Amino acid sequence: MSIETIAAEADAVTADALTRNVLIVGVGGQGVIMISKVLALLCQTQGLQVKQSEVHGMAKRGGVVFSHVRFGAKAGDPVWSPTIPMGEADVLIAMEWAEGVRWLPFLRADTGVFIADTQQVIPPFACRNRDFFAEPAYATETPSEIVGQVSDGFALDAGRMAEELGNARAANTILLGTLSASLDFPLDDWLSVLNQFVPKGTEEINRRAFLLGRDWVETPRENPAMPAPTPALPIARPGIDVRLEITRSWCKSCDICVKLCPERCLDLDDQQIVRLKDPDACTGCRICEWLCPDFAIAVHHETPERPHSA
Amino acid sequence: MNEITPDKFEIRDYLRLDLMPHFMCPGCGHGIALRALLWAVHELGIDKDNLAIVSGIGCSGRVGAYIDANTYHVTHGRPLAFATGLKLARPDLKVIVITGDGDCLAIGGNHLIHACRRNLDITCLMLNNEVYGMTGGQVSPTTAETRLTTTTPAGNSEPAFDACKLAEAAGAGLVGREVTMQTPALRNLIKEGLAYEGFSFLEVMSDCTEIYGRKNDLGDSAEMVLAQKSDMRPEAYTNSAEQPFRPNRLVTGILARNDRPEYGDTYRRQAAALCGEGDDAA
Ligand code: SF4
Ligand code: SF4
Repeated sequence: MSIETIAAEADAVTADALTRNVLIVGVGGQGVIMISKVLALLCQTQGLQVKQSEVHGMAKRGGVVFSHVRFGAKAGDPVWSPTIPMGEADVLIAMEWAEGVRWLPFLRADTGVFIADTQQVIPPFACRNRDFFAEPAYATETPSEIVGQVSDGFALDAGRMAEELGNARAANTILLGTLSASLDFPLDDWLSVLNQFVPKGTEEINRRAFLLGRDWVETPRENPAMPAPTPALPIARPGIDVRLEITRSWCKSCDICVKLCPERCLDLDDQQIVRLKDPDACTGCRICEWLCPDFAIAVHHETPERPHSA
Repeated sequence: MNEITPDKFEIRDYLRLDLMPHFMCPGCGHGIALRALLWAVHELGIDKDNLAIVSGIGCSGRVGAYIDANTYHVTHGRPLAFATGLKLARPDLKVIVITGDGDCLAIGGNHLIHACRRNLDITCLMLNNEVYGMTGGQVSPTTAETRLTTTTPAGNSEPAFDACKLAEAAGAGLVGREVTMQTPALRNLIKEGLAYEGFSFLEVMSDCTEIYGRKNDLGDSAEMVLAQKSDMRPEAYTNSAEQPFRPNRLVTGILARNDRPEYGDTYRRQAAALCGEGDDAA
């Protein structure tokens, strides 16, 4: 048997047994695990076999969290591995926009359903550009772009919807409701399982959030595939203008500015005199100006300067 | 140009441009200290015509010569003595003494303790580079133990002075220390010193890159500047009784305050009283 035949047979087996794969992604503190537990328990109550695996523990907000849920009929014993292979998720549900974009390759190209909150949680390492007024480097893909790419896509501002409902923390329940519209389970079972997971006293708001998310799919919109999302952030260098005035005859080639510039944008030319090697990288921090013992560098800000805390 | 600050600090406004570039070696920390001083003068809005700089002999003594103000370059170790006379005669002037570790602690050590004791309104900036640089790198009162200099070929075996503790013990009104690497912090400290009514003694940790750094293998200029940071402990206070000599780790900021009557004030009141009596008698 060639490798192709084995693969084809394996595909056939999977397809026959109707394993469904749901991938839930987000960042720490958003309730990824809660959604996957609700789904897993619901599958169990329906008499299905279910496997769930997750990466969690990102208790500090911002860490990546994901959870794979695979389920199918017990009889066929169809769920072998607890993780979803690339390109085989039937539903990808993202609680954070950039995470949704990142995990997109796991979604089935032909039939996959993409559900994402357009909420953006911008991690510290996206703020590497230390220019004054710099925009963070964040996923530039807009929801309409992504929703247009997948076979079935929903991008909703669940965070704002939950806030309007009265509890911002119910955003994950809204997304769970949206998910429920793509899976074939009775509504009452969804609600009763959900009730076992939500904190005491929030049953009612979570029920409403769930229904809101579920109905959102059905609500007629002008173009359901293109909801009005938060606009993506531009990565273009904002209009800042720093000018370095170098007095060549005063420079004594001591190298202090070259070695201590945080952006490494200075060097010494062939005459061992300082020059601005990379003008675009200079943030105007003034460290070279302060530490040059020979006053050979003056930093001029053409745009308003933030006050220095020092 | 649309600068937000109406009068941004331009160091050229305070320099004698015809003397630039200055004579200091590449990487010498004294230039950074000079910037911080002029920056502080600018931010306090001190008029150059009302500013008098008195400096002694040595690399530090030359620093004053580049300032476009009233400057005196006086005999070795005596800038505090000259400044005392100047301040008593012209109390309207802002008097700053720029001196070095050798000038201030060795040759002029006696003047220092009495200036501290008197508490006349002078700001004394001691640029400490731990060596006599201008004369070829001899051991100074602040050279750290085991360091190599031309006069300590086997390594310095004398303990180094902690100038700030000396000044505090002698009664200086305000005592502080900062490194050149923290230029804005140094500027702030100098501002405090200039605003203080009384004798303020400020020790500035500077680098002698060409002589001391080279002889002791302390790395290039940038490495020496960075090393200042690892030597530093920013918490302001230590108990000065603990260690009479410089501890390994530097404490920076304002180290001591000893608010006492300013000497010039007392002196003038006494003089007025005496003159008044004389007038009455006549
Ligand atoms: S201002 Fe000077 S130290 Fe700061 S980034 Fe620009 S060149 Fe580098
Ligand atoms: S710090 Fe000043 S003197 Fe040293 S290399 Fe840079 S510009 Fe030249």
